[in-house]
Amino acid sequence: MKTVRIWFCKEGAARYISHLDLTRCFSRALHRAKIPLWYTEGFSPRAYMVFALPLSLGIRGERESLDIRLEQEISPEEIISRLNAVLPPDLPVYAVTEPVMKPGKIAFASFEFELETEDLSAQEALGRVEDLFSKQEILVEKHTKSGPKTINIAPFLTHTKVWEENGRLRLSSVLPAGSTENVNPYLITTSIRNYMGFDFYEKVARTNLYDAQMHPFV
Amino acid sequence: MISKKLERVLQRVQKPARYVGGEVNAVVKKKEEVDVRFAFCFPDVYEIGMSHLGMKILYGLFNAQPYVWCERVFAPWIDMEQEMRQEGIPLFALESGDPVRKFDFIGFTLQYELSFTNVLNMLDLAGIPLRSEERTELSPLVVAGGPCVCNAEPLADFIDLMFLGEGEEVDLEVIELYRKFRQAGKGKQEFLRAAAQIPGVYVPSLYDVSYHEDGTVAAITAKDGAPATVRKRVMLSMDESYFPKDFVVPFLDVVHDRAVAEVFRGCIRGCRFCQAGFIYRPVREKSVETVSCQCRDLCQNTGYDEVSLSSLSTSDYSQLNPLLDELLTWTPGEKVSISLPSLRVDGFSNELTKKIKTVRRSGLTFAPEAGTQRLRDVINKNVTEEELLKTVHTAFSGGWNKVKLYFMIGLPTETFDDVAGIAELGQKVVDAYYDTPDRPKGRAVSVTLSASSFVPKPFTPFQWEPQDTVETLRKKQRHLVDSIHTRKIEANWHDAETSFLEAVFARGDRRLCRVLEEAQRRGFRFDGWADCFSFEAWMKLFSDLELDPAFYANRRRDFSEILPWDHLDYGIRKSFLVEECKKAYQDMASPNCREKCSACGAACFGGGICFENR
Repeated sequence: MKTVRIWFCKEGAARYISHLDLTRCFSRALHRAKIPLWYTEGFSPRAYMVFALPLSLGIRGERESLDIRLEQEISPEEIISRLNAVLPPDLPVYAVTEPVMKPGKIAFASFEFELETEDLSAQEALGRVEDLFSKQEILVEKHTKSGPKTINIAPFLTHTKVWEENGRLRLSSVLPAGSTENVNPYLITTSIRNYMGFDFYEKVARTNLYDAQMHPFV
Repeated sequence: MISKKLERVLQRVQKPARYVGGEVNAVVKKKEEVDVRFAFCFPDVYEIGMSHLGMKILYGLFNAQPYVWCERVFAPWIDMEQEMRQEGIPLFALESGDPVRKFDFIGFTLQYELSFTNVLNMLDLAGIPLRSEERTELSPLVVAGGPCVCNAEPLADFIDLMFLGEGEEVDLEVIELYRKFRQAGKGKQEFLRAAAQIPGVYVPSLYDVSYHEDGTVAAITAKDGAPATVRKRVMLSMDESYFPKDFVVPFLDVVHDRAVAEVFRGCIRGCRFCQAGFIYRPVREKSVETVSCQCRDLCQNTGYDEVSLSSLSTSDYSQLNPLLDELLTWTPGEKVSISLPSLRVDGFSNELTKKIKTVRRSGLTFAPEAGTQRLRDVINKNVTEEELLKTVHTAFSGGWNKVKLYFMIGLPTETFDDVAGIAELGQKVVDAYYDTPDRPKGRAVSVTLSASSFVPKPFTPFQWEPQDTVETLRKKQRHLVDSIHTRKIEANWHDAETSFLEAVFARGDRRLCRVLEEAQRRGFRFDGWADCFSFEAWMKLFSDLELDPAFYANRRRDFSEILPWDHLDYGIRKSFLVEECKKAYQDMASPNCREKCSACGAACFGGGICFENR
């Protein structure tokens, strides 16, 4: 029995698949690709599958991963090609590695945003967003299991940069992520909409995951 | 392809995966390389439409033609519709994201009457004029198929062309004809007149319908060379008939999320209330080899670990045990389980259930349909109380303790005693549990009695019958509850008001077209969904348009009356339906097709069970 980490992207239509649906999609693909999975013992055997960290709907994932356990040795290249033959085109697998860190160690995630403003130039928008980010308190409503809750996201923006590029507003941000504390990147774009009163088309991508010491998740 | 406009909207709606496509096995072709684009529209939400086998078959068949690209379209749920209307996003197809109005064919499958408003609403969302006569160009052509086209007269003004019966051949013939006519630069009227010559094609605009003073049909007259009656098409050799090797595998959890193999078409039974039992005749089986091979292909190409053996009554498949044995040679190794969608009371055995898996999960479900033997004879549901009790005994000693029984309320000749009989039958099942010595230890029995309301349908022996009024149905529902004396039995029922609307449209005529048109204008859709259906709004609509819905639902028709669907021929003789109806009044059952031929007329198709040795 050997655990391997499967690395994939979540893009295009696949950005709109919920975590539960993603799990089902991968379990079908693994079954169809005839990957020799290790099944749990007991009354209802289940394949071992652990995703590093769920991703909110609509966000592109560039370094998503899933751990599985193999019953027989099979080469990483073989896993990649077999899975890509059966997965939908918007969930390409690009690497299979031996896991080094446990998913529980994840503490931060990095995001890239691209904002296409509508009624004002990117330069103007940049000025307003810089103003917003200099505030001590940026309150935004967060949906939690126990209902909506207002939180201040200003303290989380210490690793957020904003600039203008080719007529677009660009942001990059490292936010707390994982099981202990998690800040959804949409809270940033929501706060811009709420405070600054302009609308835009946004593209958000999660580019990487890190542990507490900011070592990339491997 | 997901446009920016759509992308913004997707952030705000529930289950955005309904609207993005991109699933495994979805077919994406290059626009420039195809000649005909077909938008296959299912007038309900994604999760319902993606469960439908007919759509999977035709999607696969159309896309197997190199010159056709068939895409899927579903009705956007109300949150999405609101966003689409607000943002000016027209109805689009899932594979390309292109607006449906740019397609050559917009094809609807009509599975139930309560989806008729969704058909019109989808046309409106697509930005297409609703009425056929207002669409003067050759394309887009609005076409329809499915069981409800056996009387889709309430949609006659909106649909250019309907396919009667099974579409595997006739649909392609029409697409081919369209291609020729477009190339020759011919117009829509010319095309429709030519298409009407293809067997199985019904062009409503080529038939004039006149009415008597009292609202009944006076005459249905074919014009411009259209045939006086249109006969449905059937596939005679099921083993050679097209069946897809893969299905689009949805990301979302849809209603039926598994591989489905069709074991036969038609039904030997002839239950007198059941439209499917008549319009899909004759029974035509697939061979064990074909079914097993199709199951295997599907599981391999989809990754599904469950395959369902589908038909109107799978325990009537003559080769069921050989088929299960054949499937069991490979399914355990592939970690695939087999399920049967429904079992007849007389088709259940422990031998059978040992070979299948899913029955155990959900408890057992049987459909006696009526509470007393007399009424079961009236409806020709050839199941006896003895058989039912024997079956539940077997099930209880096999470890089950939950049974669900389906019934109908409002059947012809039904009395309040028949309704009470439903509760009594439930009690007998409870008693049977405690009479079973080897029943599951330490568990109570649970019996659910589920009662739907009878809706008389065209092409059945009950097509002349009045439906009980909503008030009567409610009284009978109350009577059922009052007749239950134990908490081990739970009763539930369908809303009588939706059944009433279903009855209106099931046997409706063309005068209902303007009702549907106005319904769309008033924003009615998803009438099959309790959160969207408003009975009061419908009643107001009927009264505003001065049309009495009871004329369609609650009126007894005379055998001699011209029915709105008399120009459509499903191979069943009207005189046979009259005989069956009269036998019902005498509490007389009829033999099934395998026991003895009743000469219904379906032999006219020249194949199937009608020509097998009995």
